[in-house]
Amino acid sequence: MPLGDTKSSTVDRRRFVQATLIPISVPITARLIHSTALGAESSQGAAPVENPPSITDTNVHLFDWPFRKLKHAQTSSLIARLQKHRIEKAWAGSFDAVLNKQLDRSNQRLSEECAKHGHGMLVPFGSVNPAWPDWEEDLRRCHEKYKMPGVRLYPAYHGYALDHPELANLLVVATQRKMIVQIALRMEDERVHHVALNIPPINLAPLSSRLKAIPQARVQLINSAGPLIGDSLGELVRDTNVAFDIAATEGNGGVGRLIAGSNPSYRGAIPSQRLLFGSHAPFFPCQSAVMKLFESPLSLEQLKQIMYGNARQFLGSNQ
Amino acid sequence: MSAPDPVEFALSPALYGLPTRDELIKLRIWDMHYHGFFNAGIRQHEENLFYVQRIGIERMLSLDIAGSASDPLGVEMKAEDKQQIRQYLEQHSDTVSGLIPIDPSQPIESCQKIEDWIRRGPCVGIKYYGGNPGGVVCSHPDNDVIIRLAAELNAVIYIHTWSKIGGQPRRSGGDNLRGESTPMDVAQLAERFPKVTLICGHSGGDWELGVRAVRRHENVFIEFSGSDPHSGQVDFTVNEIGASRLVWGGHGPSRSYSTELSKVLDADLSDAERLQIFGGNLRRIAGNIFRQKGYKL
Repeated sequence: MPLGDTKSSTVDRRRFVQATLIPISVPITARLIHSTALGAESSQGAAPVENPPSITDTNVHLFDWPFRKLKHAQTSSLIARLQKHRIEKAWAGSFDAVLNKQLDRSNQRLSEECAKHGHGMLVPFGSVNPAWPDWEEDLRRCHEKYKMPGVRLYPAYHGYALDHPELANLLVVATQRKMIVQIALRMEDERVHHVALNIPPINLAPLSSRLKAIPQARVQLINSAGPLIGDSLGELVRDTNVAFDIAATEGNGGVGRLIAGSNPSYRGAIPSQRLLFGSHAPFFPCQSAVMKLFESPLSLEQLKQIMYGNARQFLGSNQ
Repeated sequence: MSAPDPVEFALSPALYGLPTRDELIKLRIWDMHYHGFFNAGIRQHEENLFYVQRIGIERMLSLDIAGSASDPLGVEMKAEDKQQIRQYLEQHSDTVSGLIPIDPSQPIESCQKIEDWIRRGPCVGIKYYGGNPGGVVCSHPDNDVIIRLAAELNAVIYIHTWSKIGGQPRRSGGDNLRGESTPMDVAQLAERFPKVTLICGHSGGDWELGVRAVRRHENVFIEFSGSDPHSGQVDFTVNEIGASRLVWGGHGPSRSYSTELSKVLDADLSDAERLQIFGGNLRRIAGNIFRQKGYKL
């Protein structure tokens, strides 16, 4: 039973004994190896690595997506899923923020949930809408009251374009506060939106000129699919420090080919130093992004960068 | 620097809660939706074999044999290119099988292509593209002659379906291309041919609607590649129609195998159900024509 019969809810005696024999004091990495239920891999073409790296996921959300009951909407369920895939830190936004006009309430709930049920894994990223009056106060609360290292923006859902003058101001203030700004390029494929929504894709073209004026800004594009970045890729890579995630990177061997500049969905290359792991869980299964790391023949060095190194550096440079 | 080995991994996937390559091979994965030969690209296919081997896919069913979206019947394709792809399929029948695009706006010509490529050739099925020059969807009565012939030959029948939101007034399917079928079209076709197995491709894209459209037609199977990996999609579909009516597609090279595999790995399934979805069901659908042609099942 190599993959584990995940449908079965019963626990037979052998499984029960195996599970209870794992001592609580065993380090989390070792426990994870036992808990995969996939069996140990002996050869498989993988050289044994001491202390295999854990992953920092820069793109998860808590709670329910407004248009679907999600399988792992419960924080405890999401955390169990992340742990199964060796994810030890996750930058968490809130689905509440996507369509909620009381953003501070949403940010407060996110902060409390991460503190109470995050098991030290979840790092809250609140949201601010620069097109709304007094966004500065929302940003201040995210930073000072909720101690968030960054904010996540949803321009498509919040109704502004990237040439909105207040977005430029937000980037300046966030940079002064040494906060990360994540911009969600997409939450869901526009072709399958609820009929009540009419949300166009984001035009990224104005972003690089905005960021050239703020070279210290730390901006990450999440769900940064090639077709959404389009012609802006070259300028963003060359002229800014923008980072990207891999949640929406498509194509066989997509991540490796993106680094090599041969992914046909992207009009150029993104160096491995600019790629951060992001899963878009629980909307996407987090297996999708984790498996992308193995679908491409990445080196150990590249894996370490994408799994945690780049995220750590990105976060650290804002503190 | 030497070229990477497709079966070498810097870290073991097992350490990250993923199946190993050996475990994936044991699943006997048959890919119902392979675009390696898109625009007659044998070279593209051969380059892509690196990833096929790395993931451990057992067999690919290519949907683009001797035709393209703009020219489904391959009228503009050179005869020598057709001959080359025919020979390739004959020589590699242990790993690759071909489906030929047909054009429902040209039923007579489509039947001629079926005779040539399936009855007298190496191919095992037909494919409806996402649109066609004549703008005819699969529910149109002109399709009946195509379906009858395909059924007579035990050919696999794969129908691309999507329901793209859009149009005026805004509605499901309102942004579809001309001739691009929806799952509702497949349901109409299934009603007329209750004994013919049809594969509803992409689960209609908007899968929550697509599954509803075809669930009461037991002769309709659902393939679900080519869209973002939504957690819970396969659980929902299995709950509505059972695991015995799902067929896995990889949609490579344009989609990541990880995207498509994760849809199944995300679901709460028994091992038997996983085996059905990854290849067992497709082997059941294709069994007769594979046996007729002497292909390995």
